[in-house]
Amino acid sequence: MISRRQLGALAGAAALSPALAAHAEEPRRGGRLNLIVQPEPASAFIGINRLGPSAFVGSKINEGLLSFGRDLKPRPMLAESWEVSPDGLTYVFRLRRNAAWHDGRPFTSADVVYSITEFLPKVFSRSRAVFTNVDRVTAVDAHTVELKMKHPFPGLLTVFERSGGTMVPRHIYEGTDPYRNPANEKPIGTGPFKFAEWRRGSFIRLERNENYWQPDRPYLDEIYFHVVPDANGRSVAFETGQVDVLRGGDVEWFEVRRLARLPEVEVTEAGWEFLSPLAWFNLNLRNPPLNDVRFRRALSHAIDRNFIVRTIFAGFGTPCDGPMTRGMAFSDPAAWTTYKYDTRAAIALLDEMGLRPGRDGIRAELRFLPLPYGETWLRLGDYLRERLRAIGIRLNVTPVDMPTLVQRVNAGDFDIFSNFVYMLPDPAMNFTQVYRSDMKAIGTSSNLGGYDNPELTAMLLRAERTQDRAERQRLYTEIQKILTRDVPILWTHEIGFLTLHRKKVRNLMATGLGTDDTLADTWLAG
Amino acid sequence: MRQLEFVVARLLKVVLVMFGIVVLNFFLVRLAPGDPATVLAGEAGAVDPQFMSEVRARYGLDRPIHEQLAIYVRRVATLDFGESYRIQRPAMDLIAERLPATLLLSLSAFVFAMAAGVALGVLAARRVGRWQDMAISVTALVFFAMPLFWVGLMAILLFSVQLGWLPAYGLETVGGGFSGLRRAFDIAAHLVLPATTLGLFYVAIYVRMTRASVLEVSRLDFVRTARAKGIREPRIWRRHILKNALLPVITLASLQAGSLVGGAVVTETVFAWPGVGRLAFEALGQRDYNLLLAIFAVTSAVVLLFNLVADIVYSLVDPRIEARA
Amino acid sequence: MKDLLAWSRHHWALLLGGGMLAVLAALTLAAPALYPEDPLSMVGPPDVRPFDEGFLFGTDSLGRDVAAGILHGARTSLLLGLVSTACSVLLGTGVGAVAGYFAGRVDDVLMRLTEFFQTIPSFMLALVLVAVLSPSIWTIVLAIAVVSWPPVARLVRAEFLSLRSRDFVKAAVVGGHPTHVIILRHILPNALTPIIVTGSLMVASAILLESALSFLGLGDRNNITWGFMIGAGRSMIRQAWWLSAIPGLAIFYTVLALNLLGQGLADLLNPLLARTRRA
Repeated sequence: MISRRQLGALAGAAALSPALAAHAEEPRRGGRLNLIVQPEPASAFIGINRLGPSAFVGSKINEGLLSFGRDLKPRPMLAESWEVSPDGLTYVFRLRRNAAWHDGRPFTSADVVYSITEFLPKVFSRSRAVFTNVDRVTAVDAHTVELKMKHPFPGLLTVFERSGGTMVPRHIYEGTDPYRNPANEKPIGTGPFKFAEWRRGSFIRLERNENYWQPDRPYLDEIYFHVVPDANGRSVAFETGQVDVLRGGDVEWFEVRRLARLPEVEVTEAGWEFLSPLAWFNLNLRNPPLNDVRFRRALSHAIDRNFIVRTIFAGFGTPCDGPMTRGMAFSDPAAWTTYKYDTRAAIALLDEMGLRPGRDGIRAELRFLPLPYGETWLRLGDYLRERLRAIGIRLNVTPVDMPTLVQRVNAGDFDIFSNFVYMLPDPAMNFTQVYRSDMKAIGTSSNLGGYDNPELTAMLLRAERTQDRAERQRLYTEIQKILTRDVPILWTHEIGFLTLHRKKVRNLMATGLGTDDTLADTWLAG
Repeated sequence: MRQLEFVVARLLKVVLVMFGIVVLNFFLVRLAPGDPATVLAGEAGAVDPQFMSEVRARYGLDRPIHEQLAIYVRRVATLDFGESYRIQRPAMDLIAERLPATLLLSLSAFVFAMAAGVALGVLAARRVGRWQDMAISVTALVFFAMPLFWVGLMAILLFSVQLGWLPAYGLETVGGGFSGLRRAFDIAAHLVLPATTLGLFYVAIYVRMTRASVLEVSRLDFVRTARAKGIREPRIWRRHILKNALLPVITLASLQAGSLVGGAVVTETVFAWPGVGRLAFEALGQRDYNLLLAIFAVTSAVVLLFNLVADIVYSLVDPRIEARA
Repeated sequence: MKDLLAWSRHHWALLLGGGMLAVLAALTLAAPALYPEDPLSMVGPPDVRPFDEGFLFGTDSLGRDVAAGILHGARTSLLLGLVSTACSVLLGTGVGAVAGYFAGRVDDVLMRLTEFFQTIPSFMLALVLVAVLSPSIWTIVLAIAVVSWPPVARLVRAEFLSLRSRDFVKAAVVGGHPTHVIILRHILPNALTPIIVTGSLMVASAILLESALSFLGLGDRNNITWGFMIGAGRSMIRQAWWLSAIPGLAIFYTVLALNLLGQGLADLLNPLLARTRRA
């Protein structure tokens, strides 16, 4: 008997959907798309809430200046064109002349200036960090915006997608507390869909924006986001045809395989190119023995990344031994020091440290907090505990809810926790923040484990300000060498988030943001 | 006059209990690691000390806890339960949206459990020691012994996925656009599985109680006297046994109210039922203190109301007992 | 002989329940001998079906032996049920005894407290407690105990109220016995039966409550329990039904046994109780 496990990741399932191959057909107007939003978000306004569920709903309502293709090249959105001066110090955006807010007011350069200089720095730390590199933002005319940089910052364009660069209406938000604005309940954007109705605990409904700037778009009349709190319930909703799409994370990974075999269903790994999620274990380098690089290398030897991908994540994703995903610019796996799965090597390192097993066979005891995102992540914790036991380390697992996790991590009250981070295409966005020494203080950080390497920090900051591509590559290669030698984080794999959808849903993955984009081009076949 | 005194005393008790519950939980939820600021900061993508202290200042969470309590109690005294930190709407509005669904589910489950439990319990008692007694007791126990979520899941797989008879989740067809009678039918169809699942668990309890109670009553002297007087059996059952045997069942039902409302959390999760139990679970997970405390207050009030109704029913069934506070 | 047959026919529930529990206890005690490995360790290939490759109940998605989990889980689950029941019975009996014996104002205060805890939706309170204290075996035991003592208190109070006016108690009071002796030596033994009957059912509810907490992601992850197994296996119900069905059956078996025992005890002891009362 051949077990399912022995087949390839997607064998038996429908072939990877050629999400872009449906062009031969003539798109059809009309219809309702049924999606699932999980968990139910606090707000549908992406301007004040950028977690997955809010971004998923809000990205149909509020737009950015740019979007990104699956090739990760910028594409026009609210900016119909843009220019970057060769010295990297001036950016000019030309805006759509026919774009308008859902309340009828025109979208102009004043909105852009307000969003970039006032709104975004106030509400989103990534945007704040990026925009500190900008010297001046000016409205040249009603439909032209110019950014003057303090110094080159070649990753800048990446921030202008709908999340890092949400465009918000100035006439509504200027002079108010963005978090307390009544408009947040019924967000006003420029996107192809308008907020219509939210019955908490049941659904959110968006309706077609008849005055969208792109002619004949969107194709759909309305979108329903169903709220279904139990993972099995979400499977059933898809199976019984009540919803048309399941996104990565809606159901557990192992469930995707089964659903992919249903008739009239396609499965695709596309649509996550931009976010590019990387999973890892954060290590608290402030605590012994985790402060010893030999101990961290031993941990890296102790886990089988192939097993994690193959068994725990049901064969979806790619094992990763280093700090960057393959899709990211400047990723250079050839430069990485890797630690192959080898329990013996791990034990040898612990012995070398003088970390001997006690009478009960235990060399060290660590506290572990699993990411509270469902069974798969809990199972990953079970696996880590089991592998560490094999090298004489006891891992005490405490399943916590999100506030507890945030609180304990911010207080430095942990040894290991599981995590994943959207890396985004340019390392200047999220990659840098994770390793900067000046972000290691407890409670302020994105460098959660307190990794302290001032020399590397200097290189990171130099790299993000280097306009010359070859020089930038050299710096990032060096950075990756240092990081994989120091192992400040236990990288495990690039997450393969899969999207399942009924075949009648066409052109779902129009860009590298997948279902997190506007869905203006998505249509339903008859 | 008596009646009035009774009502006033009863109301006073309701207020006291609700107050106690709010204060107890006020301290309890603040003991939990993390606070609304950590949650909001995480959601906004701005986990930095400045943002968090702004949030704490905005909601007065930076003050000493006794001050917070004093402010809170003063507000609650005027029936102002504050706004949900996360959703930024009055907590009571959010609850009002969701409470009807929970009441519908709990009451349907209760009626089902009570009706089935009493009927089967009487039947078992009349056939005590015979195979019917054993069959009823064991079958009821089967559902009592299985975790609710497991029964619910199985019911969905069987009746929704395999047979396609009933909808699997939600209160009504999303985007169905039904109104009037059609909407009522739609909701009823959605109600069948969750109400039955939740009710089945309690059937066993009522079966057991009814059976024991009927057995005990039928052994009592007045039943024997009635039989000796030659009163016909159906009448004895109706007028003498059942009426008296129901008293402890009503007491039990009254005591089960809190458990029933609480148990709805699991059922609401399994069936995506947009009720207040699910809202409470989410409020807890998001440290939405105001919302959680308001839910505790409201659900407790519902339980107290239910107890009151049970007391009234009790006094109707048993004329010897007057309403007491 | 005939009497014994008649007796056992009448008390089938007691015999069946007791027998089932005895088997369970024997298996639980034998667990370390039958499965010496830690039940959380990965001992085989993942997702083996029951009876395949030498695994009685198959393995889960990490290759953990389900049979080992069931037997080792029995110990933790039963312990959890027994300890939390013991705690709530002690608390409930204490409160109920004091309230019932002293009556009057003491009774009023204690009964208001009991009603208070009965009014809070119990499962929600348990959720809050476990979330506040972070899930572990002991916080779960605590939460279960806190929410399940009030019925015991009510029951014991009622017994005490009726027993305290009995002649033998009055005699003891006149005889100058200290209060605690009267409560513990004279009244309590007479009230023991309903306490035991209720307690046997509470063990079952505790096991179920733990599985419900586990379903909502608030289970202990360091110790294997049936609640943990069913909670973890539930998500794979469509791929590997046995992962949740087998611990589900184990819970069912235990709860059924405890219920039968409770019902049997009630049937056995109730007439006796009625007789002593009349005496």
